[in-house]
Amino acid sequence: MSVETVKSIDGIRFSVWSPAEIRKYSVAEITAPETYDEEGSPVHGGLMDGHLGVLEPGQRCLTCNKTTAECPGHFGRIELSEPVMHIAFINHIHRLLQSMCRICSRLKVPQDVLDEFLRVRNKHAAYALISQKKIPDQIVDRARKAKECPHCGAPQQDLLFTKPTTFVEKTEDEENRLLPGNIRDRFVKITDNDLVLLGYDPSTARPEWFILQALPVPPVTVRPSIILETGIRSEDDLTHKLVDIIRVNQRLKESKEAGTPPLIVQDLIDLLQYHSTTYFDNEVSGIPQAHHRSGRPLKTLTQRLKGKEGRFRGSLSGKRVDFSSRTVISPDPNLDLSEVGVPESVATKLTIPEVVTEWNIEKIKRLVINGPDKYPGVNYIMRPDMIKIRLDFVEDRSGIADNIEVGYMVERHLSDGDVVMFNRQPSLHQMSIMAHYVKVLPGKTFRLHPSVCPPYNADFDGDEMNLHVPQSEEARAEAILLMQVQDQLISPRYGGPIIGGLRDFISGSYLLTKNDTMLHRDEFSNLAMLGGYDGKLPEPVSNGSDEPMYTGKQLFSLFLPKDFNYTMTSKWSKGTSGVEKDIVIKNGQLIQGVIDKSAIGAEEPESVLHRLAKDYDNATAKKFLNSVLIIVKQFITHYGFSYGYGDLVIPEERRLSILGDIDDSYSKVDSFMQSYRDGTFAPSRGMSRKESLEAKIVNELSKARDSAGNAADKAMDEANPARIMATTGARGSSLNIGQMAGALGQQSRRGTRLDVGYNNRALPHFTQHDENPDAHGFVRANYRDGLSTLEFFFHAMGGREGLVDTAVRTQQSGYMQRRLINALEHIRLEYDNTVRDPHGHIIQFLYGEDGIDVAKSDHGEAFNIERKIESQRMVDSGRPATKAQIKKILEKYTKTFNPRLKDAVVNAVQNSNLSNAGIERVCREGLELYNKAMVEPGQAVGIVTAQSIGEPGTQMTLRTFHFAGIRERNVTLGLPRLIELVDARKNPNTPTMDIYLDEELSTSREAAISVAKNIMQTRLIDVILDTETDYSTWIRFTLNEKMMNVRDITVDDIVEVLSSSKKFQIETSPMQLLLRLTEESDTSSVITIRDKIKKTIVKGIANVGRVTLVQKDNKWIIQTTGSNLSKVLTVAGVANTHVRTNNVFEIAETLGIEAARNSLIYEIHSTLEDQGLEVDVRYIMLVADLMCAQGHMQQIGRHGVAGTKDSVLARAAFEITVPTIAHAALAGEVEHLRGVTENVIVGSNIPIGSGTVDLYMHVNKKREESSQH
Amino acid sequence: MVPDHEYVPIHEIMTKEEAQAVLDKYNCTPTELPLIYVTDPAIVGLGVRPGDMIRILRKSPTAGESIYYRYVVDV
Repeated sequence: MSVETVKSIDGIRFSVWSPAEIRKYSVAEITAPETYDEEGSPVHGGLMDGHLGVLEPGQRCLTCNKTTAECPGHFGRIELSEPVMHIAFINHIHRLLQSMCRICSRLKVPQDVLDEFLRVRNKHAAYALISQKKIPDQIVDRARKAKECPHCGAPQQDLLFTKPTTFVEKTEDEENRLLPGNIRDRFVKITDNDLVLLGYDPSTARPEWFILQALPVPPVTVRPSIILETGIRSEDDLTHKLVDIIRVNQRLKESKEAGTPPLIVQDLIDLLQYHSTTYFDNEVSGIPQAHHRSGRPLKTLTQRLKGKEGRFRGSLSGKRVDFSSRTVISPDPNLDLSEVGVPESVATKLTIPEVVTEWNIEKIKRLVINGPDKYPGVNYIMRPDMIKIRLDFVEDRSGIADNIEVGYMVERHLSDGDVVMFNRQPSLHQMSIMAHYVKVLPGKTFRLHPSVCPPYNADFDGDEMNLHVPQSEEARAEAILLMQVQDQLISPRYGGPIIGGLRDFISGSYLLTKNDTMLHRDEFSNLAMLGGYDGKLPEPVSNGSDEPMYTGKQLFSLFLPKDFNYTMTSKWSKGTSGVEKDIVIKNGQLIQGVIDKSAIGAEEPESVLHRLAKDYDNATAKKFLNSVLIIVKQFITHYGFSYGYGDLVIPEERRLSILGDIDDSYSKVDSFMQSYRDGTFAPSRGMSRKESLEAKIVNELSKARDSAGNAADKAMDEANPARIMATTGARGSSLNIGQMAGALGQQSRRGTRLDVGYNNRALPHFTQHDENPDAHGFVRANYRDGLSTLEFFFHAMGGREGLVDTAVRTQQSGYMQRRLINALEHIRLEYDNTVRDPHGHIIQFLYGEDGIDVAKSDHGEAFNIERKIESQRMVDSGRPATKAQIKKILEKYTKTFNPRLKDAVVNAVQNSNLSNAGIERVCREGLELYNKAMVEPGQAVGIVTAQSIGEPGTQMTLRTFHFAGIRERNVTLGLPRLIELVDARKNPNTPTMDIYLDEELSTSREAAISVAKNIMQTRLIDVILDTETDYSTWIRFTLNEKMMNVRDITVDDIVEVLSSSKKFQIETSPMQLLLRLTEESDTSSVITIRDKIKKTIVKGIANVGRVTLVQKDNKWIIQTTGSNLSKVLTVAGVANTHVRTNNVFEIAETLGIEAARNSLIYEIHSTLEDQGLEVDVRYIMLVADLMCAQGHMQQIGRHGVAGTKDSVLARAAFEITVPTIAHAALAGEVEHLRGVTENVIVGSNIPIGSGTVDLYMHVNKKREESSQH
Repeated sequence: MVPDHEYVPIHEIMTKEEAQAVLDKYNCTPTELPLIYVTDPAIVGLGVRPGDMIRILRKSPTAGESIYYRYVVDV
């Protein structure tokens, strides 16, 4: 691009305008409340004064004489007749008033203490940085409490602050209102040194400037007036507010001059303060909002900046772009994976600039003749003298075409093969925007291959997608190098494929590759050609008949590389309990096994597709997938694959036996109920009788549903399309089949059966306390037979919960994603392999501790050594290498490997029995792959991390199931738990511990129980039967002997605990405690004492509620609800090294920051794993390291990582916009523009990824070189 | 004094020379390193002073073992 001079912003300093500055920048004093006069021209000295800038084109600014396009607008001012406080600084004003002397305006802290603080502050020692940050708070805390000034000795008064803007000083006999003027007078006297200690930069912000004497009036361009269709002028909200201020100001001035009573003047001052306050912020609590005439609250300055649609998030961080398009999407399996079908109507609007050269001049002339309306054509022509011609207005296009010469530029229509970026919101991960190649098609929708739906998370129920056309060569090159669909086959989240076959492609490939599929020669060659095969036809399989026949497996094999060897287990084989490793591919031939989801499916690691992408390259994998998908599509279309009611019919006797089985279950449930009523029902461990009854019923009913489902499933043969779809992984599961043809089963809400709602019944159609499972939402019907009305209603109840769940959780996970992105966006990999923020703070010394990029890894590993050896073995020849040879090779190649990889390689190679040359080759290739898999400097590791953790958050919403009962501990799982962890909450929702025991105790249940008794918290109330109180002198507790024995507590234990209190004397008699109060008291204090005593912990550890014993690997483990790590570690018999708690904060307190980091990794990892979501540990490690980098746990959010960012703009753009900026101004902070958000806001390059580097060319050198040749 | 727990990796105080070598290797100032408080339970027993540097030998799920450094700061 030909850009003359581009000035780059070095930094932005924030400061507070002094009255002097306000007046200096002001071009006009605004005094008139009127805006326009009768003729419609701006009033001189009014809010629309011509000096403040120009709004309408053609006019010229009275200040700078420029037009609308050039004049930036100029500030004016209102001279306030009384000073008012700036609402954004009100808390700072409060803090200052609190901490300084009311007479001498010094900080109310002795000079020697101030000196000490100043010494710490000025200490250049790096280790003081945390203590330096705390100085202002410490000073304020101390100063606030001073009763008299340590400097001048003046007595201090209490300060009352009534929000939003009233300060009152209170002495014993009077209350004295502090007016802005008084406050200002005090602030003027504050010394610079004191301000520095409070974190102010006195050169950019003196506190007296927080009190406004002159109010800046923003230029008219900031608050343009609009003319409605009716011809009425409508003013901006800010203008309205300024008018209010001017009016009151005027009245105040007049009243003061006229000598009006002070009370009335005070009212006017308050009114002026109110209007100025709402001018800055119309959402201040404690005062009424200012409203427009229509009743709508005014949108004033703070409202303009704040929130999602505010300036920062709505206009600066997110900008509207040209060269983009949005429409509905629809599928087209005939497209290439990397293509996008673009409607002609879109292609004629979106253009690509193309420079005319001698090679394309003929083509371009033809395009110009077509013009803007006929596809393919040209919309604009740019002459070398930079004059742009719009072809819509050109009559004689062929004339213009003739004039076109080399060096012209045209904006031509989008055409086949152009690179575009395709996107679907929400853009949760990098695969949400990919580069596609244009295919211009008729129709009005964007077309995409169904197999690229998973990365976009798109379907065709009305989804819309966006398309962006890169305009420069640089942008196109980047799109091709980084964003092509084929390079996004492997998800950086777990290093496995995310794109692959789905739905009918899976059923089709199964039908194609199953053993009895035979193809005629013409069918075979047609399909082969369709897949792009142009080699020789393979040998047909003789099947006895004359006609040569081919197998489907042969067809599939045509598209495999000839040296590809692989064996794996298909889903089909697993589903039909077939053999392991049934798929065998030898030298590119599928010898046996069927191809299904596990071989070519999306989101299936270790599949054939994954192996092709890793062992060959992305292009090979994409070509393979493309070919296979197109032939499968063609094959299944001709083969025929449908599904209907008839496929669900099962024999009548089967149906009856299913119903019979359910009846059996019902009678079992009945017998449980009976035994419960008899009292013969034995509860299971850790549950009350009622809970275990419910658990047992639920269990029995779920068995009934399963057996009905299985029976239905068995009734269908292997060729049943539903079974094909379920077992190949194309769609649905056997659960779905069971629900369609067997029984629907128990409907639930919140994980429990449906029971309450209408007085002890689920619906008014049942009698109260009906125990029949039918009355509690068990649906014995299936979808095929149809549901009864009541069953249908129960089903809808369950269904509603699902919908609500999804809606609620998407919001939660969206916010979590935003916080993660904000905390991590600026983190990148540096050239020394460290992970740092742009201010140089190190987060990790080596990315992921091994420097491997997950996106380039093989399912999280640098390379798969076993797989390498396996494929070498197929071709290996010669004697196995000697030990010495192996050692030598290993030494040569594994030097740079990390310990774990080295161990893996050494072990694998030593047991491989390969020849010397074979081992050499394996190791050499391994090293090559290892080097290739390293992360590259500049990589946006932070963003990828945030996406990899945030994106599965949205999936959790859909994959969360409530398993009824059985679980002994109720712990928070899934998304809420993940949010809790990244929040670094002090008190998690469900704290729990896993306490392991010392080796010698762990095998004995009795020993475990006795340890558990010392851990479980026992309060007095837990071991008393009865309390008797004389409400003035004594309290008597009758103890529960049984409970005391269970908890292993003696009367003496209790006496010992209680004896520390001086309030009473204890008299004991067997199983009774009599507490005699030392002082006679009134009723209420006796009750207080009694209740307090009842809550006294007599044994065990505070906060540890229930304990349960669990046997794991032959060892007894104590699981608790409630957590208290530091105390548990002191209990005898506990294996201290193995005590676990899920309260990460507690670990940070008792075991240190490194332990907290480890625990955080463990907790996040198991939370995700529990949901069946695969996320590489490296990402979790990075988040944990970031959260622990400052020595304490920081949350991912406004109170932690995102809130302590160095960049003012980034913080303001995240949350709490206005206070952030106010603080930055008083501290004189400088924005250095090193991160991501900041640079987006100012519109410059983002220093991440390809933005970290720039491309330069020594033009002169190049010329010299070329002239020499 | 150092808590004996599977979550707590080995923390070691580094000599001035070692610390300087790390700073040189990563071309950074002490404040750019990850921090640890003097009061952190894992290092209180080591006799650390603010300004020291700690070497942490972590067990790593990806690399087997890895080294991390933290700079000791005042509370």
